[in-house]
Parts: sequence; C-alpha cells; structure tokens
Amino acid sequence: MRGHGFLLANYVPGTSLIHRMPLWLKFLLVLACGMASFLIVDWRLAAGALAVLCGLFLLSGAGPMRLFRAVRPLLPILLVLGAFQWWQLGGPVAVRIVLNILLCVVAASLLTATTPLHRLLDGVVSLARPFQRFGADPERFALTIAIMLRSIPFIAGAFSDVRDSARARGLERNPRALVLPVFITTVAYARHTGEALAARGLGEPED
Amino acid sequence: MTQTHSAGTPQPAKRRRWNATDLGLIAVFAALVAASALVAAIPVGGLGVPITLQTLAVMLTGLALGPGRAFAAVGLYTLLGLAGLPIFSGGRSGLGILAGPSAGYIIAFPLAAAAVGWLAAVVIRRTVKFRSVLLFISAMATSIVLVHGLGIIGMMVNAKLDFSKAFLADLPFYPGDIIKNVLAVTVAIALHKAFPDLLVRRVRQLPQKAATPEAATPGAAAPEASAQQ
Repeated sequence: MRGHGFLLANYVPGTSLIHRMPLWLKFLLVLACGMASFLIVDWRLAAGALAVLCGLFLLSGAGPMRLFRAVRPLLPILLVLGAFQWWQLGGPVAVRIVLNILLCVVAASLLTATTPLHRLLDGVVSLARPFQRFGADPERFALTIAIMLRSIPFIAGAFSDVRDSARARGLERNPRALVLPVFITTVAYARHTGEALAARGLGEPED
Repeated sequence: MTQTHSAGTPQPAKRRRWNATDLGLIAVFAALVAASALVAAIPVGGLGVPITLQTLAVMLTGLALGPGRAFAAVGLYTLLGLAGLPIFSGGRSGLGILAGPSAGYIIAFPLAAAAVGWLAAVVIRRTVKFRSVLLFISAMATSIVLVHGLGIIGMMVNAKLDFSKAFLADLPFYPGDIIKNVLAVTVAIALHKAFPDLLVRRVRQLPQKAATPEAATPGAAAPEASAQQ
C-alpha cells in the first residue's frame, strides 16, 4: 500500500475499437445500461444484452479473467438475492433482477478497463467546466484530486504504522489507540500540505 | 467544483472561498476515507469483533471539518470512486456500484458527512456541557436517517426488495454503527482538543449572535470539552 500501484489495477492497455472510443461515448453506454436495467422487463432480453456486453468486453482484449474479477465481489450477494427473489417472486423475475445488475457492472468495468486513469480523471475535471461561470475553478479541482491521490498511500501507511505501534504496546484490541493517532496524523499532514501549497502560491482563490 | 458544493451547504453570511489549507484538508480527508475503505477491519472488544472503518471515517470527516468541507471531501471520494478509482470497500469501483444493492449507502456518504458536520458545528457553537453526548446523538440521528434510510431505499430500488425485507436486511448494521459512532465522537473530541481551530475558527467568523463567551474563545472551550469526556 505504500505505492501507487493499486491505482493501475483496472486498466488493460490495448488498441481495440472500444479503447479508441471517446470517453463520453463510453459514459453514454454505461448510462444506457443503467437505464436499461429499469426498462428491461423480460429476462431473455436482459440475458441477450449481457451477452453482447460480455462479447464487447472480450473483444477489447481484457480477457475472461478480468471479466470474472469485475463481477466476483458481487457474486455472493447476487446469489443470495437471486435465491431469495426466486422464492418470493418466481424464477423469471429473479433472473431478470440479477442479470440487470450484472449488466450495469459489466458495462461500468468495460469503461474502466479500456480507459487509462489519467483520462478518467481528466473527464472528472471537465465536469467542473460548465460551472466555471458560477465560480467553479477546474484548476483547483484538479489540484485537489492530485493531492488526494498522493495522500492515499501515506494515510494507508499511517494506518499500518499505528497498528504496529499499538501492537507493540499491547493495545491491539483498543480501538481508540488504533484510530485516534491516524486522525491526528491526517490533520497534521493536511495542514502541512496546505502550508506547502500556500508557500508556493498554489490553491489560493484568485479574487 | 468547490463552488458547486458550497452552493448547497450553509456558509457564513459573508461567504469566503476556501484557501490552500482548506483545500489540503479536503484532499487529505478524501484520501483518509479512501484509505480506511482499503485497510483491514480493526478488532473491538474482548471477542475482537472486526469493524470496518469506512463509515467511521465518513462520520469523523463531518465531525472534524464541518458541513461544507466535509461534503466536498466525501463527495470527492465518492466521485472518484464512481469514476473508476478502486477506492470503495473491497477495492470495488466504477459506476456499476450504483446498480448494486449497496448503492444507497454510497450515495448517503457525502450527505451524511454534511449533515453530521452541520449538527457538530451547531453543538460546538451553542453548547459547553454534554458535548460528547450531543455529538453522539447527532451522529446517530444522521446514521439512522441518512445512511440507513438511503441504504434501505437503495436496496428497494436495485434489489427490488419491499420495505420490510430491506429494513431487515439493513438491521444487522446497527450494532456496528453504534460502536463506530461512540468511537467517532471520542476521536472527534480528542481531535478538536489537539487542533482547537479546526472547526471553531470558522465559527468565530459568524455574526455576533453566535459569539457567546465560550464559543468566542476556542482555547477556553477545549478544556470544557475534555472535562465532559
């Protein structure tokens, strides 16, 4: 956790059609799948849509392992939910509900698997652009995102340091000793970051 | 983004923009929420029941930063998680989260941070006694209304459960939430003791009405808080 490696977890480099698609088009695809999950009422249609998306996913060159890893965290919940709704509402409805959730998840992971992280973040920053006339500042927004990304490994490291020192003092069962020093470190680190920014003339409002 | 967020949250009458320190606090607390979703759960009590730290971090962001900055910090975390950064619990990410049964909880996080931040600012501004009890009540009320309320709605919409079933599915989270809120309040009080100007500095800029003797002098207010702990 002390590096930035975890940020690269999802992206698969490639040159397929989906990789070259502009980001807004991919976003529209995900949005359409989200809408579809409310509109599709026939489980066969849901299965067809899911099959098409899985095909697209495999065409992008990400491979079936990726596809499985994208849906794996949800599988236990979906199994319980499917069984429960089968009992409550009958087979076809239960299958439709589960397939529709899978449809959205596969569409969303198609987006993240084929778009490098910096492009995604540029996309997020460009969300602030329409609000510029109301005083939004895309530069400061992007700066805040960059500081957040570089702080995640530091804070995760602080968690493990504090855990080690609590264990050394025999306090590994004391939640206050495990949590409080992390928050003190966090606030101090944030203040130092703010001072460092101010010293460089960054991050201050322009007016 | 700073403006779009602050537009919806209560600000001092003479609205001032966030400076570099506020930006640092927002960014680092967003990182804190992300890191707390990624690290392992911590054991609590004699049996060592593990609790996850994410909702604890969300609540503490609100209690520490106040409504505007807490909403920005947790909102930034949610936005980047939805954009595809693997920072939701279990390393999940992406818009697919919004289709899953836990969507309501994710959407509730920024709102809960803002609500508990607003309540905490009121408590710290208006009261001296029983602060920890009042802060705990604020945190519990926010948990019940926003986190559990939106969580239940999320399960009803996405998993097509009816209300009573969704309510039952949500019920097992309550004991952990009570423990987390107790922990959040003890940490928040210690945090305000260590950094007396973290939240109170903003309070002092409010109109004269709020300038009661104890709220006007943060140095005097902090020992009072410690006496209550």
